[in-house]
Amino acid sequence: MDIFIQQILNGLSIASVITLIAIGVTLIFGLTGIINFAHGEFLMIGGIVTWLAVSAGLGFPIAVMLSILAVGLMGYVLERGLFRFTLERPTNGFIVSLGLIVVLQHVVVLFWNPNQKSIPRPLTTVWEIAGVRIASVRVMVILITIAVVALSFRMITASRYGRALRASVEDRDTAALMGIPVRRYITGVFVLGSALAGLGGALLIALFPITPFTGGTMVMKGFAVALIGGLGNIYGAVAAGLILGIVEGFSAGYGFSQWTDAYSFVLMILVLIVRPHGLFGGTSGPRMAS
Amino acid sequence: MNAGSALKPLRSLLPVLVILALIALVPLFSPSNRFLSLAISAGINVIALYGLSVLFGQTGILSMGHAALVGVSAYAAAILARDFGVGFWVALPVAAVASAIFAMIVGVPSLRVGGHHFVIMTFAFGQLLAIVLTNGGDYTGAATGLDIAGPVTLFGADVTELTRYYLMVVAFVTVAAVASWAIIHSSYGRTLRAIRENEKLAASLGINVGRHKIGAFVVSGVFAGVSGVLLAYFLGHISPSQFSSFPSIYLALMVMIGGARLIEGPLAGGILVAFLPEVLNLDPVQSRIVYGICLIAVIMLLPDGLIGGIVRALRGLFAGKAKQEAERDAAPSEARR
Amino acid sequence: MSPILAISGLSKQFGGVTALAGVDLAIEEGEILGVVGPNGSGKTTLFNVVTGVHKPSGGTVLFRGRDITGLAPHAISRAGIGYTFQQAMAFAGLGVLENVQIAGEHARAGGTANPWPTPQALLDFVGLSALGGEKAGVLPFGSLRLLGLALALATRPSLLLLDEPAAGLNDRETTALVGLVRQLPGHGITVCVIDHDMKLMQMLCRRLAVLDFGSKIADGPTEAVLADPKVLDVYLGGDL
Repeated sequence: MDIFIQQILNGLSIASVITLIAIGVTLIFGLTGIINFAHGEFLMIGGIVTWLAVSAGLGFPIAVMLSILAVGLMGYVLERGLFRFTLERPTNGFIVSLGLIVVLQHVVVLFWNPNQKSIPRPLTTVWEIAGVRIASVRVMVILITIAVVALSFRMITASRYGRALRASVEDRDTAALMGIPVRRYITGVFVLGSALAGLGGALLIALFPITPFTGGTMVMKGFAVALIGGLGNIYGAVAAGLILGIVEGFSAGYGFSQWTDAYSFVLMILVLIVRPHGLFGGTSGPRMAS
Repeated sequence: MNAGSALKPLRSLLPVLVILALIALVPLFSPSNRFLSLAISAGINVIALYGLSVLFGQTGILSMGHAALVGVSAYAAAILARDFGVGFWVALPVAAVASAIFAMIVGVPSLRVGGHHFVIMTFAFGQLLAIVLTNGGDYTGAATGLDIAGPVTLFGADVTELTRYYLMVVAFVTVAAVASWAIIHSSYGRTLRAIRENEKLAASLGINVGRHKIGAFVVSGVFAGVSGVLLAYFLGHISPSQFSSFPSIYLALMVMIGGARLIEGPLAGGILVAFLPEVLNLDPVQSRIVYGICLIAVIMLLPDGLIGGIVRALRGLFAGKAKQEAERDAAPSEARR
Repeated sequence: MSPILAISGLSKQFGGVTALAGVDLAIEEGEILGVVGPNGSGKTTLFNVVTGVHKPSGGTVLFRGRDITGLAPHAISRAGIGYTFQQAMAFAGLGVLENVQIAGEHARAGGTANPWPTPQALLDFVGLSALGGEKAGVLPFGSLRLLGLALALATRPSLLLLDEPAAGLNDRETTALVGLVRQLPGHGITVCVIDHDMKLMQMLCRRLAVLDFGSKIADGPTEAVLADPKVLDVYLGGDL
C-alpha cells in the first residue's frame, strides 16, 4: 500500500510535466491545426536552460524564470519566423516542426554534448508520513503545475481574452469575422504554450536527468494526453494527464515498469478507436483548405 | 499533348533509368569500401522511400511509422533465418508480406480516426514497436537486437561481397523505381491522387476512399519490407532503436527533401542525405542540423522538393523567352475568377 | 411508373436541432425536378443525407426500388446516383483530362449505352475540350463548374443531383449550364436540382418541391407552386 501511494505520487509528478506540454499542444492545434511535434524539444530546451542557469550558480527559482522566458521567446521567434507562413497548410507546419526537432536536438548536442544533464534537487526534504516516503520535490512539481493550470483556467474562462481565445479555437473563421484578432491570438498561444513547455522542462530536470533526446518521448505522451482528452480541449488534457499519471504510477508500482512508456500510446490508440474525438470531446482543428 | 500522350509516361522514367545505369557502373572505378557501404545504405533507404512516395506523394498520407515497417521485415528475416533456417530469397517475399500485414494492422485503426490524428497514430505505433522489440526477451534479442548470418547467393554465386551486394541493391532500387513509376501512371495512381486532392469529391465519384488509403499504406509496407530484408542482410545485426519513430522522421525528411511526387525524388533524397556529409565534410551532428534546415527550407520555399524546384527552375530558364513572347500575344485574354 | 428515387419520412437531427422533419419526395424517371427553399430550410441536409454524407435519423431512400438509405458516399455513386457539390468541384492539382479520366474509372459496370464513351467526348459535351491539358486549379470559375458537371456525368449516373449548380456563375454561363442540363433527360439521365435561385429553377424545371423548416410545404407543377400562397409567404421579400 505504501509503495502504491508513492508510485501514484511519482506518476502524478511526471504527469504534471506531460500536462504542461499537452496544454500547449492542444491550444496550438486547436487554433492553427498545426501538429507541433517540436514541442517536446521546447521542453528539452527549457531543461537545458535551467541546467545552464543552475550550473552558473543561479538559484532554481531564477533558473525556472529564465527557462520560461527563453522558451517563450523561442516560441515567439519561431511562430513569427516560420509557423505563421504555414497557417494555410497545417501539414507544412507539421513538417517544419519535424525539421525543428532535428535541428534543436543536434544544436544542443553540438554545444553541450549528448550526455545526460542533471541539477541537484532544488528541494531535498523527504517527509515520512505513516511509512510513506514523500519527496518534497515531487510535491513541489505537482503544486506548481496545479497553480499554473488553475491560473491558465482562470485566464481562459474569466477574462475577455480567454473567451475570445476559446471562440477562436472553436471556429477561427467566425471569430475573425467577429473582429477577434485571431493572428495575434495565434502568436499569443504559441508563446504561452512555449512558456509552459519551458516551465515543464525546468520541472522535469528537477525530477530526472535529461538528454538532448528527452523531448521525443515526452511530446508523444503530451500528444497522447491531448488526444485522449480531445484535441483543443484544455479540461480534457488535464483530466487525461491525471489518468495517465495514475496508470503509469500503477504500472511502475506493480512491476511492469519496462512497459511504462507503452501505456500512454496504447491508451491513446484505444481511446481514438472508440472515440475519435477523445474522451471529453475536442475540435477536429480549424477547417483545412482542401 | 494528344499525340505524345502515350510516350510521355515512358519519357518520365528515362532519366531515372539513365541515372541508375550510371550508378551501376560505379564499381568500374574501384570505389572505396566506405563509399560502397554508404551507397548500399542509401540504396536500401531509397527502396523504402519509393514506398513512402506512393503514400505521401501520391495519396497525401504522411506516415511517421515507415521505419517500423522496415523493422518488421528486418526482424522477420532475422527470426526466419534463426528459427527456420530460411535464407534471403525466401525471406524476401515472406518478410515483405509481414510488413504489408503490419501496415494493415496499423492502417485500419489509424485511418479510421481520420486525417489529423493519423500521423500521430503512426508515430505511436512506431514507438510501440520499438518498446515491444526491446521487451521481447530472447525472442527479439531485447535492446541488443538480433544477428543475422548467412550468405546471400544469386544463381549459385555469393553476393555478400560488397561490390556484388551493391549491384544487387541497385537492381532492387531499379525495380522499386519502375514499380513506383508504374503505379503513378496507372489508373490506381490516378485514384490515389484523387484522394490526395479531395477526399470528398473522390468519394462522390465512386472511389472507396478508406479502402484505397489502407491499400496505399499496405503498398508502402511492401516497399519497406523489401528494404528491411536487404538492410538486415547487409548490416548482419539489427536492433530496436533503428526502427523507432526517429528513423521514421529521417525517412520522411529524405523523401520530402527530394520531392515526394516525382519519380526522381526518392532517389535524390536518399543519395543526398547519405552523401551530403561526405561532400561537405560534416560530422554526423552537423549534418543532421543541415538536414533539418534543408527540410524547413524546402517546405517553405520549394513545396515540390529539391528536384521539383530544379525542374521548375530549368523549365523557367528555357521557357522564359518563348513564354514572354506568348504572353505578349495572348495578353488580353486573362480573366480569371 | 414507379419513381426513380423514392424518399419517405426522411428525417435528420443534429443534436437537438431538426434539420429534416420527415420529408416525402418522389423523383420521376426522366424529369428535371427542382427542390427549393430559403437558407436553412433543409435543402443541403436533404442532399447530404441522400448522398451518404450524413446518416439519416429516420426514413428510407429507395433508388429504383433498392434501399440505399445510409450507404457510404462512394456506394451511392456506384449505385448510379451522380452528384455535384457547391464547393468541391474538381481536383485542383490534377489536369482537366485526368480529372475526367478518374471520374470515369470507378463507374458501375454495365448499364445503358454511354452517350460520352471517352473523357474527350465528355469535355466536348461541356465545352472544355480545348482546356484538357490545363490544370483544373487554373480554370476560371465558370469552367470549373462545368468540369464538376463533367465529373459527375463521367460516373454514368441515371440520376444526377445538382447542389446549387449555378452559384457564382454570370448570366451567360448560367444559360450555357441550363442548356446542358436540359439535354440530360434525352440521354436517359434524370435530374434533381437543389437551389434557391428561382430564376434558374423556372428555366430548368417543370416541377418544383418547396422545403421550409425541414418539411415539404409544396410539390407540383412550377407555375402552380409559384402561385401557392404558402410558398409566397416563405419567399416574401425574398428571391421571388
